[in-house]
Formats: sequence, C-alpha cells, structure tokens
Amino acid sequence: MTLVPGNVFGFWMFVVISAIVVYMIRASENDKVKVSIRPIPGLEAIEECVGRATEMGRPVHFSPGLGDIVSTSVPDTLAALQILSYVTGVAARYDAQFLVTIRMPNVYPLAVETVRQGYTAANKADQFKDNTVRYISSDQDAYAAGVIGLMHQEQVASSILAGLYMGEALLLAESAARLGVMQVAITASVMQVPFFVAACDYTVIGEELYAAGAYLSNDKGRLGGIAAQDYIKLIVMAMIILGTLMTSFGSTFIQELVTK
Amino acid sequence: MRKEVPLLITLIVSIIVMLSRITTGPVPIIGISMPELFEGYISPWMTVVSAFALCLASVNLIMVHSGNISRKRQDWVYSLILLVTLIVYGAFCTYVELNPNNESAAANYSLIYNYILSPLMTGQWACLAFYVASASYRAFRARNLEATVLLVSAILVMLGAAPVGSLIWSKFPTIQQWLLDVPNMTGQRALLIGAAIGSFVACLRTMLGIERSHLGIGGSS
Repeated sequence: MTLVPGNVFGFWMFVVISAIVVYMIRASENDKVKVSIRPIPGLEAIEECVGRATEMGRPVHFSPGLGDIVSTSVPDTLAALQILSYVTGVAARYDAQFLVTIRMPNVYPLAVETVRQGYTAANKADQFKDNTVRYISSDQDAYAAGVIGLMHQEQVASSILAGLYMGEALLLAESAARLGVMQVAITASVMQVPFFVAACDYTVIGEELYAAGAYLSNDKGRLGGIAAQDYIKLIVMAMIILGTLMTSFGSTFIQELVTK
Repeated sequence: MRKEVPLLITLIVSIIVMLSRITTGPVPIIGISMPELFEGYISPWMTVVSAFALCLASVNLIMVHSGNISRKRQDWVYSLILLVTLIVYGAFCTYVELNPNNESAAANYSLIYNYILSPLMTGQWACLAFYVASASYRAFRARNLEATVLLVSAILVMLGAAPVGSLIWSKFPTIQQWLLDVPNMTGQRALLIGAAIGSFVACLRTMLGIERSHLGIGGSS
C-alpha cells in the first residue's frame, strides 16, 4: 500500500495536525493548558431565542441544515447536531415548544436521538414527542417550502439555522424575517453568509460553526481542539507567507512540497 | 458496549474512507486495496443504512401528516395533498421501473415532473428576487460604520454590474471588479481557510470518539 502521488504532503500534514489536536485536547483535559474563547454574540443569543419563544408561547424552530452524514458536509452536520443538543437542553429547561426540521433522511435518526437525549438529560423525557423532529423532504426546494409553510402554520417565534446551507438560505431566512421570527444563523457556507447577515438577527460564520459545540458545552476536551485550530492556523499562515516570499524570489520549493 | 461499539465502528470506517482516497495497492494482511475495501464493503453498507434511515424518515412524515388530517389541524388539506402525491407518485414510479418497455408510462411520469413540479420550483426561486431586495433594504441602512461601508460597497458593485453604471462613469466596472477580487476574495479565503481547519478538527474529534453527542451518548470523553 502506497500513497497516491499528490497526497504525500497532505498525509503527513494530517499526521502532524492530528498530533497537535490530540495533544491540545489531552493538555486541556488535564488542565495543563487553560483555554478560553472570546464571547460569540450569536451563540449567546440562542438562550434569548428560546426565552422569547417561551414568553410568547410559540415554538422554537431548529434546522441542522441541508448537509448529510455521508458527504463532505459531515462536519457541518455534526456541528449542527452539537448545537441541537445544546438547544434541546435549553428548550427543555424553559419548557419551550420545540420543532426540528430535517432535510436528509440519514440525519433524521441522529437528530431524534440527540433531541431525545437532550430531554432525558434535563429530566424531561416526557416532553419529547414523535413530531418534535420532523422529516420534511430530501429535495432542497421542497424542504425550503415545507419549512416556510411550517413556520406559518406553527407561528414560530424563533428560528435557529445551523449547518450547511445552499441557495434556499435566503428563502428560509427572509420568509422568517417577514413573520417577525427572531433568527440565529450559524453557517460555514461562505456563499450564504451575506444572505444570512442581511436577513437574520445574529449570524455566526465560518469556523465558529465548528467551535460552537465547544463554546456552548464549555467542555475542556472540545476547547482544547479549538486551541489546536489556532496553532494549525499559525502553521498555515507561516506557509502562506513563506510560499509568497519564496515564489516572489523565484523559488518553487513550497509549491513542489505541497503538491508532492 | 453501547458507547464503545459505535465509536470503534466510526474510527475504523473513517480510516478506511480516508485511506481509500489517498492510497493505492493492496493492504499487506487483507490483500486488497483500500479503494476496493471501500467500494466492496463500506459503500454497500452505506446504501443499506441510508435505506433504513429513509424508511424511518418516511414513517415520521406519514405519521405527522396523518395526524394533521385526523385532527383537522390548520391547513390539513396540504397534508392530504402531500400524502396523496406521495402514494400516487410512488406507485407511478414503481410501475415505470417494473415496466421499462412501456414508453407512454415513462413519458407521463416525466410530464408530472416537467409540468407540475418544475414550474412550482421555478416559481419558488423567482421569489428570491423580491427577497433579495427586501433583505438588502434592511441590511444596507447606514446605522453604523460597518453598515455604511457595506452600503457604499453595495452601491459601487451594483453600479459596476448594471449597464447604466458604465454610462455614468466608465470606472465603475473597474471599481466593482476590484471590490470583488480584492477585499471580497480576501475575506472569503480567510473564511474558507478557517472553516477548512475547523472542519478538519471537528472530523478528527469525531473519528477519535472525543465528539460523541451525535450518537446520543453524551458530550465529549
């Protein structure tokens, strides 16, 4: 078994980065490193979203995005499920009505289990209902139409959109904005960020999606992973600067190295 | 066991999937390559698991909408349309699949898509134009410095893209292109690099079993 040419550098970077991540996670768990994250207003607003819905006696809506768990959107979907776990806990604590809409069938059982576990952890397992998590459609357009319809029917008070989004981002967000729904969007989908910024009350962008689980749970291990990201970013930045300088002076060393 | 088995499966499968993309040649002990291992053993299981997940999701869909109809909840008629469409379309599709030589059935099946579903989807997307306008109106109000910068940039980009812009001043398209290529691209790439690293670390946490909330077995280790 050999590495396919073009993947050698990537493989060794994978090994180095994995070592950094594992070290930082363990160091954080053993209190060798103290990790703190700057406040992220969008994530702080989640509790406000649920509180608002409780006061209004109307449901909170959560969508884990359009991503699947068998494609490149896996990290986005898993990050959204971590946020779902937190939101369920808050909704259970506030006795808020909770509504989760699902696009991909593969995500449905995971979302059900996450929500069920969230209610059980809050000692409110009886609040979990079969229609709390609803499969809408695996078709992107039908999903958007279904969620918009549901927001109208159920008179949703707040909506949290987390994970991967595509062209329907503005359809969902603007329809909700017209209904006066308080919205928090959490996404790493670069092309959809402007739409969410325009239509939502709070937008959490880029890598903050993947940091959300650690931020909300305040778990030492997860926070260690976030700290590792910063060290990896330093390595990437150093390589970008070095590559730019070397290429400017006519050397192709970095280009050859990364394409090995 | 409830914790360990899913975590072990996650680790093994994710290593196979990863190595199947970057390695070639047979693995010493098992004698087949990682891509073959993935295609022959993992991929079929993914199809099986996905089929079960679809079954579960469909049951949920039918239960929710049957409940709407039986309790005559608001807009229950839409639930009825959904269930009828589901049954008719499913039956029609099955008939077409079982009778591949019946061309008229296949043609009628396409008609449903082309003349019912497609116009509905087009109409839905057409709403985007109005949504962009109303969302932009709210976002572009110059409430603070950032919003003002956004407003000015948006006006410059719009003037650069609209034919009337170049008639007013020939430099508008150049300014628009610079805004898209330099500040916009810089921000996008910064976001992409950060997101890629975050995504990688999130995957690694899941592979190593540090992240396990999606399995419904609590938070991190």
